[in-house]
Amino acid sequence: MNDLLLDVRDVSKTFVRGGLFSREEIVAVNKVSLQLAAGRPEILAIIGESGSGKTTLARMILNMVTPTSGRLLLDGTDLAAISGSAGRIAFMHKVQPIFQNPFESFNPLKRVERYLLMTRRRFAAAAGGSTAATAVDAALHKVGLSLKEVGGRYPHELSGGQLQRVAIARALLAEPKLIVADEPVSMIDASLRISIVNLFRTLRDELGISIIYITHDLATAYYISDRILIMQKGSVVESGDARAVLTAPRHPCTRQLREAALLPQIAGGGANASGTTQVI
Amino acid sequence: MHASVEQPHGEQDVQPLLVVRDLQAYYRTSHAGVRRAIRAVDGVSFAVRRGEIYGLAGESSSGKTTLIKSIAGAIKPPLEIVGGSMEFAFLPGYGGLHRAPPAQVERIRWRHLSYIMQGSMNVLNPVRRIRCSFTDFAYPHIGGSRQQFEQQVVAHLSRVRLDPSVLSAFPHELSGGMRQRAALALATICRPGFIIADEPTTALDVVVQKEVLGMIRGIQRETGSSVLFVTHDMGVHAHITDRLAIMYAGRLVEEAATAEIFRNPLHPYTQNLIASLPRIGEDAPRAGLGGAPPNLADPPSGCRFHPRCPLAREICSREVPVMREAGAGHRVACFAVNGDDGA
Repeated sequence: MNDLLLDVRDVSKTFVRGGLFSREEIVAVNKVSLQLAAGRPEILAIIGESGSGKTTLARMILNMVTPTSGRLLLDGTDLAAISGSAGRIAFMHKVQPIFQNPFESFNPLKRVERYLLMTRRRFAAAAGGSTAATAVDAALHKVGLSLKEVGGRYPHELSGGQLQRVAIARALLAEPKLIVADEPVSMIDASLRISIVNLFRTLRDELGISIIYITHDLATAYYISDRILIMQKGSVVESGDARAVLTAPRHPCTRQLREAALLPQIAGGGANASGTTQVI
Repeated sequence: MHASVEQPHGEQDVQPLLVVRDLQAYYRTSHAGVRRAIRAVDGVSFAVRRGEIYGLAGESSSGKTTLIKSIAGAIKPPLEIVGGSMEFAFLPGYGGLHRAPPAQVERIRWRHLSYIMQGSMNVLNPVRRIRCSFTDFAYPHIGGSRQQFEQQVVAHLSRVRLDPSVLSAFPHELSGGMRQRAALALATICRPGFIIADEPTTALDVVVQKEVLGMIRGIQRETGSSVLFVTHDMGVHAHITDRLAIMYAGRLVEEAATAEIFRNPLHPYTQNLIASLPRIGEDAPRAGLGGAPPNLADPPSGCRFHPRCPLAREICSREVPVMREAGAGHRVACFAVNGDDGA
């Protein structure tokens, strides 16, 4: 039964817009299925244009949005059956989110370690018996920070990259099996972006955490993900091994995304190759 | 140190459209007698030639926005121009929009100088139809009869592949891509000589982004305008800009033809930036840059990159490296590249 960590079966989500007389149904996610195996951590990238339903799918996996039809099973538990705070905490213990803008995920008026300590307190019963501060420090060490560095600081005193690391450390305190990261690096500067992306790889390899990585950036998806899912207008149009899909896309939507992606490289002798002088 | 700004460049050695010299723009605040200055732009010099797209790249809080605010003359306290000048070819003798009389500025805005911003919602008046935005901004500069003007607008909208019906729409009725194209049409209808594009496609979807970039390129080629193109997305720079300057902590660290920056970066920061970008088809692991971006209220002494620099030496923490020619049209500010006599 529990050989699947996450089993998404034919889920759909329809939003209804308008009032009594002008009802308009928007199908955000249309019969999507996906599976993550237990005990074999992987990074699954979900890619699509804006409005393709990738964020709605993530919110359904995080149990923040109830699907209109279909079932989601996490470790054998149906998400629809989760009720009460004990059930929710047990669920959050397994799945943790990371959001796009770290400056919005933290209250600007509170020191960042407060969130870490609160999270630790909430999951303390489940986690080991070490004191809160050492557990927080250990989580921060996993993301390349320490309590000494971030303790007593407010969110604006940290860079976007550091703050996103703190957000990841907070997620790690729950010792989750799955992290759902929605555009986690799109607000991060280029020079810091790759270190966050590398961190995901470390989490997978060293802590055995599966990661659902939602993005529109094909280059980072190619760089870290094992499997890839391309979404268009709520449906999955292509899926498979990340490298295979991105190097030889089959569906026209994937091809369109692939062609539209502006890669940071200069095509040989292109329009702007006016200064090709080599300096040694 | 300004000698390298106006480099003769073959057939293009006509006067550049914009020459920025040693610009210093600080945010100065004074609370309860405690004075603080955030040195957001500190000694920046460059020139934008006629008919080129000049790219400016840098991370957040590297001073990109402050630099274009200063160039556009949008200087409000606590931002202050502390030193240096910005000379436009079409507004000679003032050393910047902020020093020119308001009547002059009014005359050149939209006609000679226009902007494409990240949030086009902020350019288009939300309570007026698109047609009114065109009449408000562009009609005073174009003149003629209303009918002629409308024809001109419709013809110009077709360049960005917009239907004339959008003129009757309100901004919120259009999609983000359409709105950005309408803003682009508005910014270019007077055929300005200089366009400031501040992250114009960052809020757009990848597919729409490529389309809008193609339109910016097309209009720029047609009108022969110069564009100052600011974005942190190196993929966009590789795609559209002719020359590229890299900004770090309020200073330019490197400037060269875009292809040259990507093929042969010299400054350690640029090298790291280019090497850290993942590319489809390349599997080699990439390393990020250690350390944190500097605090501009209290920047590191000497070269502002030295605490994170793998090549840092003793001189780097003492003296500020100046931009020096390291090859044809390739300027770099680094002691490790230029040698210790760089100052």
